[in-house]
Amino acid sequence: MRVVIAEDGVIVREGIAGMLRRFGHEVVAAVGDATSLRAAVSEHRPDVVVTDVRMPPGFSDEGLQAAIALRAADPDLPVLVLSQYVEQTYAAELLDSGRSAGVGYLLKDRIGEVTEFVDALEQVAAGRTVVDPEVVRQLLGRRRDPLARLTPREREVLGLMAEGRSNTAIARTLVVTEAAVAKHIGNLLAKLELPPDADDHRRVRAVLAYLRD
Amino acid sequence: MISALVLCWMDAAVVTGAVVVPLAFIAGPFYIDDESLYKTVPISLIGYAVAIAMAYPVTAWAGARAAMARAILAPRSSDADQRLVEVTRSRARLVDAFEVERRRIERDLHDGAQQRLVALSMQLGLARLELPPGSPAAAPLDAAHELARQALTELRELIRGVHPKILTDRGLAAAVRDVAGTAPVPVEVDLRLPGRLGATIEVTAYFVVVEALANMAKHSGATRASVTGGLSGGRLLLDIRDDGHGGADPARGSGLVGLADRVAAVDGSVALSSPAGGPTLLHVEIPCGS
Repeated sequence: MRVVIAEDGVIVREGIAGMLRRFGHEVVAAVGDATSLRAAVSEHRPDVVVTDVRMPPGFSDEGLQAAIALRAADPDLPVLVLSQYVEQTYAAELLDSGRSAGVGYLLKDRIGEVTEFVDALEQVAAGRTVVDPEVVRQLLGRRRDPLARLTPREREVLGLMAEGRSNTAIARTLVVTEAAVAKHIGNLLAKLELPPDADDHRRVRAVLAYLRD
Repeated sequence: MISALVLCWMDAAVVTGAVVVPLAFIAGPFYIDDESLYKTVPISLIGYAVAIAMAYPVTAWAGARAAMARAILAPRSSDADQRLVEVTRSRARLVDAFEVERRRIERDLHDGAQQRLVALSMQLGLARLELPPGSPAAAPLDAAHELARQALTELRELIRGVHPKILTDRGLAAAVRDVAGTAPVPVEVDLRLPGRLGATIEVTAYFVVVEALANMAKHSGATRASVTGGLSGGRLLLDIRDDGHGGADPARGSGLVGLADRVAAVDGSVALSSPAGGPTLLHVEIPCGS
């Protein structure tokens, strides 16, 4: 997998590059600001982009804006965005960008979970959607009443769905059969009055949008 | 001294004109024996008229003396106003200086310690992968990794407590939603703000909400809370409610007092309603004018 990394902190940038190489991926460019990011993507045409939300010169959300712009220009470009803190709006803006899937929003802390991070990156590159569990946890914590209708198992499944996991992955995590997962999902979508959707990405967006209101 | 002497004579002149002269005229018929009554009685009547007429100048003079006394004795109003303005400005400068310092700390923590901890966590994770299965180093490495994870979480919370980046980047509403999401009970957030407010106002309002929610979590036993507010009449109005058992008392613990101080430093006001048995409402108003 050919990767472009955009991260203004040198130590973290080099750390991610080293980590990806150890897993056999090729780091075609590692840059430290949004302008260089755009240049590197147009020059190298990577398979996936990893970028921090916050970058020079303004240190607000240049990285996120660059990611959205890149996906506007190339809607299928997979982008994984790393954020210092949970910001629901960032996740929503990111998920709405581009054509569909191939987008991820993780807390920077998650980089330390080496296998999970690389796995998330590979998922995003493969066109799936990934949302940090902490983001989902905060969203779930906010809405009590409708979620109270769900069984504990259904809540677990909802959380994993919102993180962008496939039915197979959910089944593996909860150690149940895929058929059981499908049944739980059907039940909980019905209880929350959300439409059933074969497309995982649209499913994640729907769940997150529902939780955010 | 000179003015006092002059005043004394002027007082004497007024008293003479107002009292002595009319009396003299009025009493005329009684002690002037060498004139006939036909002369002295009209003069006496004139005396009555003069006495009545003198009421006006006497009152005016009394008013003037009172005003003089007030001017001499009262504090100079222009001095007091100026002092007050200077104190207010200096307090505002202090608040700003603290803010600048906090942002510097946040930036330094983010660029320094937080980065290194993330990189450390990465290295520990990589090292763990290189271990052959069943290695005795696995357990201590896992422990080290977990410690790094916890340090990162705590640091992130600390930075948020010092100065949350999201407040600067995205404004008050986003920052409040963010902190509300970390509360142990559901917190409904409904802030109607047309745009960004001044930095000092946003910081003050944010930390008020943080303190209120922290108190709620620690003391109230609430099951739900809400933060609502908006702009009205050039003021930011905030209401923080919870359905806990109330009894919040500023005298117990310095959190509420510190909160009130913060708000006062920006000319705002805080009102607390927390009857025993609940619910609790904290109402905050902060002027948003220039």
